[in-house]
Amino acid sequence: MEVLREKVEEEEEAEREEAAERAEWVRTEKMMRPVEVRKEETTLTQETLRDLEKKLSEIQIPISAELPAFTKDTIDISKLPVSYKTNTPKEEHLLQVADNFSRQYSHLCPDRVPLFLHPLNECEVPKFVSTTLRPTLMPYPELYNWDSCAQFVSDFLTMVPLPDPLKPTIKSEEKVLPKKYTIRPPRDLCSRFEQEQEVKKQQEIRAQEKKQLREEEERLMEVEKAKPDALHGLRVHSWVLVLSGKREVPENFFIDAFTGHSYSTQDERFLGIESLWNHKNYWINMQDCWNCCKDLIFDLGDPVRWEYMLLGTDKSQLSLTEEDDSGINDDDDVENLGKEDEDKSFDMPHSWVEQIEISPEAFETRCPNGKKVIQYKRAKLEKWAPYLNSNGLVSRLTTYEDLECTNILEIKEWYQNREDMLELKHINKTTDLKTDYFKPGHPQALRVHSYKSMQPEMDRVIEFYEMARVDGLIKREETARTMTEYYQGRPDFLSYRHANFGPRVKKLALSSAESNPRPIVKITERFFRNSAKPAEEDVAERVFLLAEERIQLRYHCRDDHITASKREFLRRTEVDSKGNKIIMTPDMCISFEVEPMEHTKKLLYQYEAMMHLKREEKLSRHQVWESELEVLEILKLREEEEAAHTLTISIYDTKRNEKSKEYREAMERVMHEEHLRQMETQLDYLAPFLAQLPPGEKLTRWQAVRLKDECLSDFKQRLINKANLIQARFEKETQELQKKQQWYQENQVTLTPEDEDLYLSYCSQAMFRIRILEQRLNRHKELAPLKYLALEEKLYKDPRLGELQKIFA
Amino acid sequence: MNWLCDLMEPRVMDDDMLKLAVGEQGPQEEAGQLAKQEGIVFKDVLSLQLDFRNILRMDNLWQFENLRKLQLDNNIIEKIEGLENLTHLVWLDLSFNNIETIEGLDTLVNLEDLSLFNNRISKIDSLDALVKLQVLSLGNNQIDNMMNIIYLRRFKCLRTLSLSGNPISEAEDYKMFICAYLPDLVYLDFRRIDDHTKELAEAKHQYSIDELKHQENLMQVQLEDEQARQEELEKHKTAFVEHLNGSFLFDSMYAEDSEGNKLSYLPGVSELLEAYKDKFVIICVNIFEYGLKQQEKRKTELDTFSECVHEAIQENQEQGKHKIAQFEEKHLSSLSAIREELELPNIEKKILECSADISELFNELMMLEMQLVEQLEETINMFERNIVDMVGLFIKNVRSLMAQCRDLENHHHEKLLEISISTLEKIVKGDLDEDLPDDLRTLFVDKDTIVNAVGASHDIHLLKIDNREGELVTRIDSWCTHLVDKIHKDEIVRNRKRVKEINQYIDHMQSELDNLEYGDILD
Repeated sequence: MEVLREKVEEEEEAEREEAAERAEWVRTEKMMRPVEVRKEETTLTQETLRDLEKKLSEIQIPISAELPAFTKDTIDISKLPVSYKTNTPKEEHLLQVADNFSRQYSHLCPDRVPLFLHPLNECEVPKFVSTTLRPTLMPYPELYNWDSCAQFVSDFLTMVPLPDPLKPTIKSEEKVLPKKYTIRPPRDLCSRFEQEQEVKKQQEIRAQEKKQLREEEERLMEVEKAKPDALHGLRVHSWVLVLSGKREVPENFFIDAFTGHSYSTQDERFLGIESLWNHKNYWINMQDCWNCCKDLIFDLGDPVRWEYMLLGTDKSQLSLTEEDDSGINDDDDVENLGKEDEDKSFDMPHSWVEQIEISPEAFETRCPNGKKVIQYKRAKLEKWAPYLNSNGLVSRLTTYEDLECTNILEIKEWYQNREDMLELKHINKTTDLKTDYFKPGHPQALRVHSYKSMQPEMDRVIEFYEMARVDGLIKREETARTMTEYYQGRPDFLSYRHANFGPRVKKLALSSAESNPRPIVKITERFFRNSAKPAEEDVAERVFLLAEERIQLRYHCRDDHITASKREFLRRTEVDSKGNKIIMTPDMCISFEVEPMEHTKKLLYQYEAMMHLKREEKLSRHQVWESELEVLEILKLREEEEAAHTLTISIYDTKRNEKSKEYREAMERVMHEEHLRQMETQLDYLAPFLAQLPPGEKLTRWQAVRLKDECLSDFKQRLINKANLIQARFEKETQELQKKQQWYQENQVTLTPEDEDLYLSYCSQAMFRIRILEQRLNRHKELAPLKYLALEEKLYKDPRLGELQKIFA
Repeated sequence: MNWLCDLMEPRVMDDDMLKLAVGEQGPQEEAGQLAKQEGIVFKDVLSLQLDFRNILRMDNLWQFENLRKLQLDNNIIEKIEGLENLTHLVWLDLSFNNIETIEGLDTLVNLEDLSLFNNRISKIDSLDALVKLQVLSLGNNQIDNMMNIIYLRRFKCLRTLSLSGNPISEAEDYKMFICAYLPDLVYLDFRRIDDHTKELAEAKHQYSIDELKHQENLMQVQLEDEQARQEELEKHKTAFVEHLNGSFLFDSMYAEDSEGNKLSYLPGVSELLEAYKDKFVIICVNIFEYGLKQQEKRKTELDTFSECVHEAIQENQEQGKHKIAQFEEKHLSSLSAIREELELPNIEKKILECSADISELFNELMMLEMQLVEQLEETINMFERNIVDMVGLFIKNVRSLMAQCRDLENHHHEKLLEISISTLEKIVKGDLDEDLPDDLRTLFVDKDTIVNAVGASHDIHLLKIDNREGELVTRIDSWCTHLVDKIHKDEIVRNRKRVKEINQYIDHMQSELDNLEYGDILD
């Protein structure tokens, strides 16, 4: 039986889908027994009917007893609306109909599993399954299409395995990750006989190996294969069927609510269908499921294949014979065994469940508590809602070596909204290699960083985003003794630089990496072809053998040649017999030229070339040194970023973005104040006076004058009252202060320091209040005549008192 | 006293002076020592400064082939000469001399900066070759005609110009005129031209400039048309059927045929001629179109062939390169092994191994090359057969078309002869109605004369047709032979070069090894 903790939610979620596409809930018993051949009668008499009714009422349905209760731990029943706790008369009626239907069914098909018609809801009230569905349209575009919607539902559901009814052990999930067996493509055969023979021999060996491998694999597969399932075909599952037709759905398919994946109706894992329902009706499958669901025809209007419970509620019915009151549907005489009259006109009551509401927060959180763990064979997938983890972790995939999930093979962690643009962290547990992947936008333009340790001068590969760096570096590989850099798009055509380091020279004083850099033994640089130069003058590779004081050059190969020019310089400075420095001798430069040239034979040329190379050597050494520094810098930055793991918040995210939130709130406040002010200006100062006069009539001059005078005197009174009020308060405060002062004078000697402090603070506050009141009074005195004049002016101009103007006009 | 004397004495640029200057201005310090030791070749000098030397005549500069910068300012040069060989010259300074006319700069196509400041020039011209000219300094000269500015419009790169100190710079309109006529100019007389001035100048001279532009455009269009026509004709020529797309051949038949022209005045002949011409031109056009098509076919054939050859060579080269790379890797490690080896017998053994490797490489490379030669030979032969067949077919078809032309001519000739004889009979009988031109009437003296005349015309026509046909056939034949020869020759050259390259490389490797041997034994 299906007992799911989130049963109701599941159905409600699926409902949205249902609203959009014609999805039906399918309930099935796997491995259905063949449906019995239908009864012989084709026509029924009243007698047989009555007889049948009697028989039916005697039948005991074993179903209800087996219905297990919900786990009620999470649901607070008291807050649920009445519809959850009681049944309306119509629902009661429906339940009766359902019971009747069920009795007929178990009479006709005694071998089949009892129907799942009205389970108890969270309030222990039986409810018909169709009424648990309530089509609702949600405001999230992601939920409009089935695939993202199904994904959401599957994220929301948590799978809790049921106890095995046979054994008290818990079975792991049945789904097995698809395993692909790949064969290496065979090697090309060369035409030569010997090679052929060789290849043949190798192939034989390989075939042998392959066979062994396959056997091994098969053996492993055998071992890993789930033990023969004792409950195979006995399990019950609930899933969604989407019928073709509306919203460009080309063919029927299934959606599994747990995984959110779609499956063809031909899928072998769905062994059969017992019944299906939507919010309008309930159908029993009368087709044979010997070949899983492959042969099923989902024409719900075909009463031979699908036995419906309520007549006339679904559009896919073949015959909607409203006028036929006799209760017998002539078209489907096999179907209407015992259909009662009221059945036909009876339609499904409204759903008793509340409309589902998903807040944006909940929608973003997706899973309950924002976390979900999915266990696969040899793998575990964990998901978190964004911003739930302070380091931005949103999902983690752990793969294991063994079925018991104890030896971790590798871990992949995906991050979101990281300020350092970290996207994925890949940790290979066997090699201990960690690889970080970054999205574009890291301050150091990092793309990939793989390393075993964050210590400098260790094995490490750093890749950079192309075009993001000024120096065109795209990759830097490091080992303990080498550093290799790859470049692209540089104006000097440099494509590769490789540096070999020697062991660090020990210094007596303690030394760090900066103060004592490793000696560089050799620098190799390669260049792309510079088409502006002739090939024999365009250096392809230069090697600075620093230890040997040699420089080797290799030039690019001309298009029509197969050999390239080479040149080697010995930059050792030597001294001749007289002690003079030898500037340049022919044996200091050994060259091989593809096309011997005149000018390169000159010592001057060679000397100049060597001088140039010496300068370049210095630059290259400096570059290598700078690269080392940069690595240190990157490592430092990475460590800082890892420690801080700040997350970015979009400016459109008004909930999380503090600034934006503040701004929004400020805007709202301003809007509110503006609104209040507008309200105020709309106050009509004449309204109370006009109310005294009969409405709709034009004022006479006399009336207008009177009105004006009344209004002004009233205003004057109010101004005076206000002045009096302020005056009164002022006097009161002054008196109180005087009293207090007097009291202080009298008791000064006996007062504790605390009392004295209290008194002093009172005095200063009172003085402040008095001063303010004094100011307000003065201000009022100043402003009152002005306000009075302003009102008078306003009244003269008021169109309703137009009569007044005439006098003065 | 000596320097003053020097200053007064006019001098000619001689070898000594140049050597001295080159030595002074060449490399210094260590490099200078080397330079002195080896001697500097004038060819390698890139810049030369010969100022304040009282030079009267420029000479001996022909060796400075690679000179980029030449300064000859503050001398007393009167004539620009001897610069023909200095084609790489970018910068030429001839300021403060006594030059009167601009000349001798026709080969300096790379010149960008030319200074003729403070000379005696009165007219700007002879600068046509200087297409890259950016800076031109002509201040303090005697240029007095504003129209000289218009000459400067052809230098599309000219940005800086100085003309102050010339008579024209006195003119009221001087600046405006130049700004208007040289809109791309940025600096005039060492000052930047501001946008405001530019606008003003443009507005002021708009009409004349528009007219000038219009004329220039017309010229340009004409030039382009002419070029397009020339290109079209070239294309036809490569197809060997130029001028056959119209009545050109027919017209040429009658161009030198005075008898034929006279006879055309006979009654009925003009209609005959009209019909004849129509038919003739149709055949010519047929030949023309057929020729273009065939040319296209030949081109595709040649392209496919070249591509195939190119690919084969490329692949072969790649293999060679790969082999060499493999060898070098191994060779380097064996060389270092030899260097580290201490025992003499071992050294010898290793050297022998190395040497064997080298000859192995040589064999491999040579085998690759032999393979390629064989493959290419086969392909080239195939191509040769195909192209010769193609040309043969083309010639055959053209011949048959030409034969049609000849038939037409024969037909026309018969008709003409008939008309002529009947006309003659009429004249003899005296019942000719129409008036004939006098020179035509002179032909109708007797039958022989008229038959000869008609025959002569016919002969000329046939000759023209034969000539055209002959020309076509000869040209295409020679094209074909040349092409095939060239392909063969190229292949031979390529092969020689490759063999030489391989040998050179192997020799180098071997000698390197020998040196090592030698050095080791010395050690």
